[in-house]
Amino acid sequence: MMTMNTQWHLLCGLAMLIGLSGCASDKTPATADVAASRAQVAAATSAGAADLAPAEMTAARDKLMRANQALAARDYKTAQDLATQASADAQLAQSKANSAKATTAADELQNNIRLLREEVQRASATNQQ
Amino acid sequence: MKKLALLPTVFALSVMFAACSTTPTTTSQLDQARGDFVAAQSNPSVASNAPLEFKAASDALDRANAAAAKKESLEEIDKLAYIAKQKIATAQEAAKAKQAESEVANAARQRDEIRLEARTVEANNAKAAADRARTAAEQAKMDADSARAQADAASSSARDEAAKNAALQQQLADLQAKQTERGIIITLSDVLFQVDRAELSAEGMRTAQKVADVLMQEPQSVVQVEGFTDSTGTSSHNLDLSQRRAESVRNALIGLGVPSNKVGTRGYGEAYPVASNTDAGSRQLNRRVEIVLSQNGAPIANRR
Repeated sequence: MMTMNTQWHLLCGLAMLIGLSGCASDKTPATADVAASRAQVAAATSAGAADLAPAEMTAARDKLMRANQALAARDYKTAQDLATQASADAQLAQSKANSAKATTAADELQNNIRLLREEVQRASATNQQ
Repeated sequence: MKKLALLPTVFALSVMFAACSTTPTTTSQLDQARGDFVAAQSNPSVASNAPLEFKAASDALDRANAAAAKKESLEEIDKLAYIAKQKIATAQEAAKAKQAESEVANAARQRDEIRLEARTVEANNAKAAADRARTAAEQAKMDADSARAQADAASSSARDEAAKNAALQQQLADLQAKQTERGIIITLSDVLFQVDRAELSAEGMRTAQKVADVLMQEPQSVVQVEGFTDSTGTSSHNLDLSQRRAESVRNALIGLGVPSNKVGTRGYGEAYPVASNTDAGSRQLNRRVEIVLSQNGAPIANRR
């Protein structure tokens, strides 16, 4: 009976360990994810996303801040989730900023072309007079 | 009792596992991500312009779908679906950026073409302007040439006029013409006539030719041919002779082309001698014909 009891305790301890390890991640990958997320947010910021995709940037910064707080509170699972989301938000913000810049450049060029074309037409009209 | 003590532990374990496995297969977040994915899939620009981003989005959606299939927690599915949704949007934006960049490249090429065109037009304009300038210069040169030609013509006609006047003066001088108030008087002396006859000698004809030349050059002039004799012989004979000699000169001038209406005659006989009639030399001076040349078409006044 005594041996039976000891086995039960062992089993319970094992199950507890397995359950805990299944839901809560380790400290190291969470820290890495938060660092990657921070780099992604910085990259988006330098791409001008704060102006060109403010909603996504705000979300990314907010999530990064909360990920840091979770990391400090040793809530690694939450930290990792928030870091992943912040990365996705920052990536989207950067993409939006890039596409907005490229679109503006394309529009500007098209406008330039239109003006040039008008000028050329005026010039050739003057020539024909 | 020991078994009872184990119960809370088992309960806690069951709660822990329940948190990890709930039943629903989808969430609105996942549905939205699936919809976004279909939209991205149907946009050919996404697959061609952002293949890496699209692959990442596709993988993220697969993970969310797998989580849903494994009936993981709503929260977990939502988290994965959110990541998938953001990655799909990122792929769309990346495709848009790439497209805009290629538009920029294309527009830059277009702009260069137009600039080239503009330069061509400018060159054509410049050429046309140069052509116009050259045409204008040629026209100006032509105008200048024609003006100079006109000036030359004018000055040469002036020269001609002056030369003609000079020649006329010379001719009149040759004829020993005298300027009087009646006009220019040219005296044809007796030696130009055969003795007691009206016919002009060869010398007389030459003088008549000179007078005719002068008259031809002065179309507005008229002449009066006046005949005179010395006091020898009867006055009627002398009058007749002087008249005939004047007529003879007139005929000679008409024969040389002078219009007949421009030549008048008058015989004065012994009247108006220019010398004394006392010696042969003086009498010879009195035997003469005078041609009075009017000036500027003025009529010739009679002798007083």
